[in-house]
Amino acid sequence: MIGLIFRKELIELIRTTRMNWLLLGTALLVGLALYNGYTYAVDHQQLLSESQRVTYQQFISQGDKNPHLGAHFGFYAYKPMAELALLENGIDDYTGNSFYLEPHQRGIVRFREVTDSTALRSFGFLNVGYFVQFILPLFIFLLSHNLFAKEWENGTIKMVLSARVTARQLFVGKLLACGLLVGALLALVILIPLALLLVQPQPVDWPTVLPVYGCYVAGLLLYALLLTVLGVAVSLLTRSSSLALVGLTGFWLLGVFLIPRLTAELSRRVYPSVTSADFDRQTFREKEYGVGDEGTKDARRAQLEARTLKQYGVSRLEDLPVFFIPITIEYFEESDGRVMDRAYAAVEANEFRQDRLVLASAVLSPFLAFRDLSMHLTATDMNTHYDFAAKAEQHRRRVGEQVDAFYQNNTVATNAFWKTVPQFAYQAPGVGWRLSNAVASLGILLGWTVLALVMMVLSYRRVRV
Amino acid sequence: MRMPLFRVMMAHELRLLYRNRVLISLFTLILLVLLASLWIGSSMFRKQQQTIGKIGMYQTEMADSLKSRIERIEAAQMRYNGFIWDDPTFAYNTARNEGPQFAVKQPFALQALMVGQSDVQPYYYKVYINKKQNLVFDGEIDNSLLQFIGTFDFGFVVIYLLPLLIIVFTYNVLASEKEQGTWVLLKTSNQSIARLMLYRIGIRYGLFTGFFWLIVTPVLAALISPAFLATGNWWWIVGFVSLYFGFWFALSFLINSFSLSSNLNAMVLIGLWLFLGLLVPNLLQIGLNRLYPIPSRISLTNEERNAINKYFEKDGQALTKDVFSSPRTLIRQASVVTPGMVYGYGVIVYKSQEIKDAAAHVAEQKLFGQIERQQAAIERLQFISPALMMQEVLAGLTGTHWHQFNQFSRDVDDFRVQTQRFFYPKMATEQTYRTFTVRDAEAIPRFVARTYADYGWLHIESSLSVYVALVAILLFAGYRRLVFASR
Repeated sequence: MIGLIFRKELIELIRTTRMNWLLLGTALLVGLALYNGYTYAVDHQQLLSESQRVTYQQFISQGDKNPHLGAHFGFYAYKPMAELALLENGIDDYTGNSFYLEPHQRGIVRFREVTDSTALRSFGFLNVGYFVQFILPLFIFLLSHNLFAKEWENGTIKMVLSARVTARQLFVGKLLACGLLVGALLALVILIPLALLLVQPQPVDWPTVLPVYGCYVAGLLLYALLLTVLGVAVSLLTRSSSLALVGLTGFWLLGVFLIPRLTAELSRRVYPSVTSADFDRQTFREKEYGVGDEGTKDARRAQLEARTLKQYGVSRLEDLPVFFIPITIEYFEESDGRVMDRAYAAVEANEFRQDRLVLASAVLSPFLAFRDLSMHLTATDMNTHYDFAAKAEQHRRRVGEQVDAFYQNNTVATNAFWKTVPQFAYQAPGVGWRLSNAVASLGILLGWTVLALVMMVLSYRRVRV
Repeated sequence: MRMPLFRVMMAHELRLLYRNRVLISLFTLILLVLLASLWIGSSMFRKQQQTIGKIGMYQTEMADSLKSRIERIEAAQMRYNGFIWDDPTFAYNTARNEGPQFAVKQPFALQALMVGQSDVQPYYYKVYINKKQNLVFDGEIDNSLLQFIGTFDFGFVVIYLLPLLIIVFTYNVLASEKEQGTWVLLKTSNQSIARLMLYRIGIRYGLFTGFFWLIVTPVLAALISPAFLATGNWWWIVGFVSLYFGFWFALSFLINSFSLSSNLNAMVLIGLWLFLGLLVPNLLQIGLNRLYPIPSRISLTNEERNAINKYFEKDGQALTKDVFSSPRTLIRQASVVTPGMVYGYGVIVYKSQEIKDAAAHVAEQKLFGQIERQQAAIERLQFISPALMMQEVLAGLTGTHWHQFNQFSRDVDDFRVQTQRFFYPKMATEQTYRTFTVRDAEAIPRFVARTYADYGWLHIESSLSVYVALVAILLFAGYRRLVFASR
């Protein structure tokens, strides 16, 4: 009997003109999302890897220069595209991928794509992530909102239940039919990207990608299950197609747009960010006048000079066996570095508090929880951004130390020296690290699924003619 | 218009709406959301004003400090006891330390309505002679995740949320008559059903739009002062937003005229909202990115660096040798920074910057040229999505459009050139290397801040005409269908 109901429901869904339009439109959107995501990922990856090579090549072939001047020419550390960027580009366009490795200046990640985009960008960027977070819920809600409600509206529920069909058989049959269509769509979303990964020009590190991809698919299935169950539960509860549709669309609107944006504004107010002007002013003062009893920059320089002269047992800088300027540079690199580290740590700590507040609102919006999970798994999230920035900064200091050590004994650096400076390469941490950052969103998603299941079962138990 | 019938219907509609608890709850929610968006927008506007105020104070503080430091040195017969790189009598040092001036885009009061590009574009720059600030400065310190999520402003409420409320408000104007069995009664009455439905939609539109402006205008006046009422920008905004609501009411009227079920009406309208509000702009974005790909700033940097490397292969190499090895600059070894070294660095920076600027100029033209082409295409095609049209027009009228930020950044670049012209000759004076005086400090060029809220470039009349025509067509088509349906 379940099979019969399943078939009847499926035929009804497939033969309805509006459903045909919905399915066709959705399939086209999936295609476009995949195309857009794939071209974005491939183009950006090529640009970034090529630029990483070019910038380093420029650095190591800059010719004879004063070592410090040459170090100021510097080079860039680029965050490569995430392996699964074709699915989700997360916040990459908002953070930028370029980190300038230059003495004295603690790097910041620059060149955010979003700065050079038109107003169209505010409508979102159509890729699989966008499709799954914005369109898929609406597709599932449009599919499921009248699954049961129509039986009441058409008066067919009495006929069906007075025949030999039990409420359970009706329920399971309809649920399976709806689940099959959702599953078919998900199959497209899951399998085609795998095929695209196979054909993309960059080699894929499968041992890293496959576990991540597996987790992404598991999360996607959980999310789709939650949405389907929720749609069915509302359809059972309201017994009115229009009311179910308005309710589910309202929930979608609240969860996708309203709650995230309101919480983002709230977090800006609860944890206000420092302005760039204040940040510059504060760090400038700390560097010039010192923190606590450190003394002014001039006083610290005088102390350093006295210490260095004493260390080498000479009375004049000119008599030192090493050059004093690189020693000064390295000394202030460290002390200014501490100031900048503190300042950036404060900014990051504040951003972390803001992010936590936004994530907390996922308790009210499963869409937000999935987005967070998706960004973490694809390494297009804030944690990966911080990790990249920290590693690039370590590399910058390593280069600075190497150049200053060379400069203590040499006033000219040739290409032979520049070639000894190491190239930068970044690899996002593996699946364990990503999952550990996504525990909260995963927990919220599971909680929502359990809640939706309970709601569906309770609504099902209320089914009476 | 038949006034008695209109009055009866008005009373009927008000009673219906008043008794509809779902609508009352939705209205209350949206009202709160609208108030929240106005408050958020106005507090962002005030925060910008505060930041600019602080910048002004900081600038004055720096200028005073610079002058008093130079005066002290002059009083001490040009003796300076601090670190040579901080000595303000070297033009190069001042150009790096206290010399850089802030360039500010004065906030426009109506930007409280729409964030537009102001969350990703800087509204102030500190202008250095050795940086193309508009290319390397990313703007305010802000959490990228929050920027990614988007802002909650009046524009968002108007463009996305209110059309959905209008849909809920109108999707079953006709279908409910059928579903409640009153349709037959209406058909047998001596009134035209088409006119009745048009009145109902018209009354709802009037109530909705009137109520909206009755709330928005005084609240905004209280939050940012009523001066905005005297601007042309405001009245264009009133016209466009009212027309935008009119579009959704007219569309709903047309869909209602197909005599479908309430559920199907709602599905179609939600589908159209999704299509016109999210998908069309997204598809347009894909197309324009293919047609006019915007080069990354990464490529621009690569070109700059290539030019520098090329320069240092010959001329730059000679200059560096001259600066670091010539007896004139007195650098024998890297232990003592001499005045010649400060001067030499200044000259190298100045020469390199000229090379970098020339290389960047070409790449910059390419970058901004492509964005301009995309913008021009958006302007031509904005009629295909009312949401996009509203986004463009609202951003333009509130002074937060890309075009206005671009104008500001070009002005900043011109100002940087002006600053370079001021400092370069002073940096290149070799006699004593220390030529920067109090009079020079007073003469450092200042940026003239202004608001960027002109909208002449927006071709606002043609956008308005297109949408008036569109609304008229939708209403006419719906009316015609209903005239035939009632026969």
